[in-house]
Amino acid sequence: MITIRRSAERGHADQGWLNSYYTFSFASYYDPAHMGFRALRVINEDRIAPGRGFGAHAHRDMEIMTYVLEGSLTHRDSMGEIQTFGANTIQVMSAGTGVIHSEFNGSEGEPGHFLQIWIEPAVLDVEPSYQQISFDPQEKRGRFRLLAAPAGSDHGEAAEIHQDASVYAAELGSGENLNRTLAPGRHAWVQVARGNVTVNGEALGEGDAAAAGDERELSFTGGPGGCELLYFDLA
Amino acid sequence: MQDTNVLVTFCSRLGSTERLALAAALGAVQARANIRLRWLRETAEDDAIDRIPGWRENRSRMAREYIAPREIDFQWADALVIAIPDRVGMSSPELSPYFEALKAVQSAGTLHVSAAAVLGTGAAEAAFAQLGLTLVPLDQSPVLDQDPIKHAVERARLQGHRVTEAARARR
Repeated sequence: MITIRRSAERGHADQGWLNSYYTFSFASYYDPAHMGFRALRVINEDRIAPGRGFGAHAHRDMEIMTYVLEGSLTHRDSMGEIQTFGANTIQVMSAGTGVIHSEFNGSEGEPGHFLQIWIEPAVLDVEPSYQQISFDPQEKRGRFRLLAAPAGSDHGEAAEIHQDASVYAAELGSGENLNRTLAPGRHAWVQVARGNVTVNGEALGEGDAAAAGDERELSFTGGPGGCELLYFDLA
Repeated sequence: MQDTNVLVTFCSRLGSTERLALAAALGAVQARANIRLRWLRETAEDDAIDRIPGWRENRSRMAREYIAPREIDFQWADALVIAIPDRVGMSSPELSPYFEALKAVQSAGTLHVSAAAVLGTGAAEAAFAQLGLTLVPLDQSPVLDQDPIKHAVERARLQGHRVTEAARARR
């Protein structure tokens, strides 16, 4: 069975400079029915005004991934990293024993639009680390491009996370089809980043999500205008 | 384990004291504290700012990344860390909003701070003593290496860790 999480049902907070939609409980949005899915704890869709952002704040024991859809973000942290990145890049920060960082829209004129994802780590107190991997957008056209994979696995050019979870991005044109087999005992979360897609006959729009655990075969078909989605393979 | 809240405040032009504050905050986080980082903006004329290369850029950046300490921050805190450069004395205008807010919260009976640390001048330590707060002296930190900057940062991190543990123990 596929469970749908509609975009309009998400938590929402608009602070003017920051417009956020929360797939799971976060900050002032709390819904005990939506605390996460497996190790996936947070998917926030944020739109940030030019030049604005999140001031210095701390994280501990969390795998924090950022995936920019439009614009750019400038990241600065207590490990000494100062990086600006845009679309077609996966940024992963393993907070481990503790990290302090800030994130700002790197542009003075263009709004920023991105997904921020938190995955609970399987091990605590790891040494904090920062990874940023850019890729050619063709690598996600019509196929799943691995963005993040379990540390120590054979993952090629993907970020490592301290959890038995893999994260992919895929872009599908209108009517284009893509299939995925879910291994026994695994669970999938599909987050529509852009456009429209049909997953096993269920139509999903931008911001919608689907959870699957029992269904082994997942079929994705790009809707009118195509789509970009993130696919989470979780224990 | 109950949450321990550490308010880290600093005054910095070019980022050196900010680095100490970040290190102290990191030490507190490593000790499983919640932290708030706050910045005391220096009052200065435009030409004075422009005479020091990098000050204006850093000032703009820090104004984006931090806010000034508020009374609710002091009400929230179990421990305080303040990092100030040597040039900032007790009578300087940068520090007065900090101590005014602190005194206001203390007068209202809503201050719960049980440990504090100062990264900076002795004058500030004396001020904390007057306010009846418990200090965690800097000179108890071990010397780790001979690099003065690296040493100061590491010492600040240890201070952040220790002030958290002290506040937690004194609950």
